[in-house]
Amino acid sequence: MTEDDPFALDDILQTPPTLPVPVAPVPTPVEAPVREAEFLGEVGAGVTGQTRMEAAYGSGDGDDDGVAIVAQSGQISPGKIFQQIYRPWRGTLNPRWVRNWSMLRHHVYGLFRKGHRPWPAYTKVLIVMVTMGALMPLITMFLGRMSGSEELMRIFGVTRANLWGHVLGSFNNICCWPLVTALVVGGMISEDRQHGSSAIYFSRPVTRTDYTLMKFISASLILSMIITFSYCAYYAGAIILNDEGWSYLLDTFPFFLGGFIASLMLVFTYTSIGLALSSISQGKFFPAVAFMGVLFGSKIIAFLINLLFDRDVLYLLSPHDNLAHVGQWMMELNTTYDFPVAWSFVALLLMNGLSLYVLISRVNSLEVTRE
Amino acid sequence: MVEEYIVETQDLVKKYGEHVALDGVSLSIRPGATGLLGPNGAGKSTLIKTILGLIALTSGGGRVLGHDIATQGQLIRQRIGYMPEYDCLIPEMEAIHQVRYAGELSGMHPAAALQRAHETMEYVGLQDQRYRTVGTFSTGMAQATKLACALTHDPDLLVCDEPTNGLDMTARGFMLDTLFQVVKQGGRSILMSSHLMDDVEHICDRIVMIHKGQVIAQGRIEDLKAIDREIEISVWGGANRLESHLKDAGLTVRRTGRVMRVQRQDETTYTTILASAAATSVQVRRMEDYEPSLEDLFIVIMDRLGYSVKTSEDLLTSNTPTMDHAAGRSLP
Repeated sequence: MTEDDPFALDDILQTPPTLPVPVAPVPTPVEAPVREAEFLGEVGAGVTGQTRMEAAYGSGDGDDDGVAIVAQSGQISPGKIFQQIYRPWRGTLNPRWVRNWSMLRHHVYGLFRKGHRPWPAYTKVLIVMVTMGALMPLITMFLGRMSGSEELMRIFGVTRANLWGHVLGSFNNICCWPLVTALVVGGMISEDRQHGSSAIYFSRPVTRTDYTLMKFISASLILSMIITFSYCAYYAGAIILNDEGWSYLLDTFPFFLGGFIASLMLVFTYTSIGLALSSISQGKFFPAVAFMGVLFGSKIIAFLINLLFDRDVLYLLSPHDNLAHVGQWMMELNTTYDFPVAWSFVALLLMNGLSLYVLISRVNSLEVTRE
Repeated sequence: MVEEYIVETQDLVKKYGEHVALDGVSLSIRPGATGLLGPNGAGKSTLIKTILGLIALTSGGGRVLGHDIATQGQLIRQRIGYMPEYDCLIPEMEAIHQVRYAGELSGMHPAAALQRAHETMEYVGLQDQRYRTVGTFSTGMAQATKLACALTHDPDLLVCDEPTNGLDMTARGFMLDTLFQVVKQGGRSILMSSHLMDDVEHICDRIVMIHKGQVIAQGRIEDLKAIDREIEISVWGGANRLESHLKDAGLTVRRTGRVMRVQRQDETTYTTILASAAATSVQVRRMEDYEPSLEDLFIVIMDRLGYSVKTSEDLLTSNTPTMDHAAGRSLP
């Protein structure tokens, strides 16, 4: 019979002659649950031995038979192992400066303790090594003082050239500061783009200006702790170890101040270039390599052109040489460049302006909802 | 003070060059759980960014939790917890400190943020795993950590973008239960964007449906379902005859075998069906109001707008052609 056939009542009225006698089902004995524990105030709730995560996500030892067991309020039954209760928070949220402080703390404290920005171990090791290297003149002076060696004191003592060399010398600007900057600044913004963690910032009452500013201050503070701090420690240590008086201080303070300002300019310039490169990339590798490429590449090109054509104006493309030139002028040293110092100063302004423009525009493009 | 509407917008327009992302969106969302539905590119993400006070609108305006979306974005974001769809966690950080940092970025005192982070990690079921780095977490754990980050400052409105994305059935159930508790037990509001109608139906009692930057439906799910009310009957003997008779009587009928769904026009539809059955000598063995799912509702609305939509079953079955709803839908 198909569904389209007319319904025939006789078909179902024809009952079979004998019907089987129904047999009552024999009840299967069910074992009572083991009642040996009291959990969350409920006697008899079975203790499964599963932790909460095993229960919820099937991780850990109970991976194979893990099931989601979430006891909601008032519905606890055997097998439910924790009670999910939403607790309101009745505190007050602090203003802008507290949020900014937390961003600064996150980045800077991360160098010293866990729970903040997870800096890679090699970055921490390099920072320690470079800082120790930057303090080497001070240590050498201390050893000279202890051993009574006047020669060491004369070589490593405070002079215009030594102070300039500490901040702007070729050795530090090839082997030390660029490496540290590349590692510190490299992943500062690019990792937020890579991991999508920019959403953590911008979905909260953090503005892009605050975000950029705090990233900039954090990076430059770390670099300042190495470059500017070691510079100041060197100068102060020399005065103390040589038992110098006020007249020495007055004589040397102007060019110390020049070097100090030059160190801040160096930190600012390196940070802005590094962060601009970080903001246009994902991951820390490209910005780090690109930063050293910009620094060393421009320097090498200018050096080759100068060697071949005896024209040193291309040093205007090199951030380090512009800083070195301006530093020489500020510390009243003989300049080693043929073009006016104003050109270097303008070149520095342009470099920083361009870098900050790139940085700001790229931070504006960071997404909250990735589309 | 309890606001009558947590989100209120009037004629929101957002253009990206020639592309119109939001086209005159006027919304009124009451406290509670609301689902945000729409196909890819409908404008859901733009609407979420608007609600977070993150983008400058081309025209229109509105208020979220009583704050103006154009000028008070920071105040809005202090009271909103946002759970993004994609990864937003720092993989090398321990989960507890990730949540604490999220609280600090909202303006919480560090000590209070740490205490609250412990509470929220327990709430989302990660108390025993809170000192693990996020990079070692499974997708479910990472989703739960994102939820903890969003809840840490106890927001009035939780905005969840695909909260069950990538979760297996167990973790999905846990996530939905947890979100449900936030609304029912915590008394907070949720705006949940999802492609999974079941998820939305599980938690939300209201929906906002967006298509091509326009709101095509909003309101209580129960009320919206009234536009697609059907009567389901099981018949025996002469189903073809009854179907033809019902269609001749002006009713819309969908049929699979002996089961038919007849669109309910008014109270007289029931008697019309029975009269047709009597006239065609067909036995009606069962007749009841059919409770449409949210997916049915979505399909009907898109159908009325003239779009052909695949059902979940179509998507699960390869080589299944897109249903032509104008010619009559097949039954799920």
